[in-house]
Amino acid sequence: MRTRIAAGILLALILGAGLVLWLMPYDYAFQDRDAIMAPATAQHWSGTDELGRDRTVRVSAALLIGLAGASAAAAITTMIAAGFGLVAAFSRPAIAAILMFLSDVFLSLPWLFLLMMARSLLPLTASPMQTAVTTFLVLAALGWPACARAIYRGAAALRSAEWMIQGYACGLKTRQLIRLHLVPHLRPLLLPQFIICVPAFIVAEANLGALGLGVGEPMPSWGAMMLELDNSALLARSHWVYLPIALLIVVLLLLESFTTEAETNV
Amino acid sequence: MSLPMRIVTRVGRTLLLMLFVAAGTILLVRFAPGYFADSREMDAKYAEAARSEIQAENSQQQSLSLIAIREVKGWIKGDFGESRQYHVPVAELIGARIRVSALLLAEGILYGWLIAICAALPVSSLRKGGLLFGLPFTILLAIPAAAMATACILAETGGPVLVLSLLISARDFKFLRSLLEGEWRSPHLLQGRAQGLSPLALVRMHILPSVVPQLRALATLSIVTALGALVPIEVIFTVPGVGQLAWSAVMNRDLPVLVAVSLLMASVVGFAGLLSTRTLTLEEA
Repeated sequence: MRTRIAAGILLALILGAGLVLWLMPYDYAFQDRDAIMAPATAQHWSGTDELGRDRTVRVSAALLIGLAGASAAAAITTMIAAGFGLVAAFSRPAIAAILMFLSDVFLSLPWLFLLMMARSLLPLTASPMQTAVTTFLVLAALGWPACARAIYRGAAALRSAEWMIQGYACGLKTRQLIRLHLVPHLRPLLLPQFIICVPAFIVAEANLGALGLGVGEPMPSWGAMMLELDNSALLARSHWVYLPIALLIVVLLLLESFTTEAETNV
Repeated sequence: MSLPMRIVTRVGRTLLLMLFVAAGTILLVRFAPGYFADSREMDAKYAEAARSEIQAENSQQQSLSLIAIREVKGWIKGDFGESRQYHVPVAELIGARIRVSALLLAEGILYGWLIAICAALPVSSLRKGGLLFGLPFTILLAIPAAAMATACILAETGGPVLVLSLLISARDFKFLRSLLEGEWRSPHLLQGRAQGLSPLALVRMHILPSVVPQLRALATLSIVTALGALVPIEVIFTVPGVGQLAWSAVMNRDLPVLVAVSLLMASVVGFAGLLSTRTLTLEEA
């Protein structure tokens, strides 16, 4: 019931953000030079930032970009983890041990340091879209080890299942067995891994963005919008500055209810 | 496996982990744009011939194996190179900041654990209302470290230790609560309750001894969580620690500092994991 309510609210937020982007006459990069740091008006529902950009439009775009990017990164991570876990489960013990050691190497390092390291190696001339894609790709590339370990355990347990032995006896090849039988059986494990990754990636992007290492301007992101809180002049003029962080917490709380259920099901 | 053998295996695993991190870092650095850029190439006072000589010298040093040998030789001698932005030996830069970060981490983890344990023990024993009492921690989980730090600055309350403690307590509370809920429901605890043992006696004699292995694993996880949160917290509160140094290195592409910090982080996490496993094996023996 709780997850249904959370899903409903999240869907309403996504639809609302989509509607705002569709109905508003400006895009997220449009600068209204006559309304710099403006309070909430009929023209700009939640005011503007220090460049005169509409906050409602930017928050809506940040919500959609954040959710889409984190979901795509989570899907990639789950796929990498599934591939890694399945290869390890169906390999010789020595190879499986090496692969799991590799996942340990990634797992034992603090994420943010790895992200900062990878992010700092990008060219300085990267466009906002490139930085957004790269940030989420880096998140996807670094988030797989915990999932891979869980999938390896699940696949290794299923490898000796009776229906697998039956499949082998019937002459099915390992690849066919994995595709036709193992992956459908692993779906209850893969879906929670995907769900757990989404809020984790949103938080990681927000932290990176707050350090100036996330999605590049003028593209809006949670992290970049949090940087507005450093502007004391803006804070004194309007309370709408808190809108992005408030909405981010609401989104993360809604996602948290899915995560809790997913963790219970794993 | 005998105890010395176990310890040797664990130490070997940790060293291998550090070797992998070092190899990965060198690989990343080698292909980083601008790593081989030399400011002398843009200096007008150098003649064209001198500039091409510098270019030729730099291109000779671009081989991955040469970089690896040079870096590893330096690390063995304790030489991590020179910072590109501060023009100071990296070891000197990090050495001055380690104490600040270590103190922050120690205090943050200690208070975080205290908050999490003090909250998880009573909340996990409740039959109803656990969700409501756990709500503050759920909300804390949904706040990114950077946002929490900014909120503290805006409210002019708290500091880096408070933010780190809250962050760790939120993560650990979640694990501790589910761990302790299982313990409270175990048959021997129900028997103890039925015999009239006080909750304090149950915790001291039954619950804590049985969750010690999981607590050790959680301690290692707390260190990893705290290290991850170190950068935004130190940057936002302008704490002169390793996290702030790493951030400034990223912003200024100071790769020698970044390599050294990555190695430091890998060794801290590796040895933290090793310590928890080692105490476990010693007790088992």
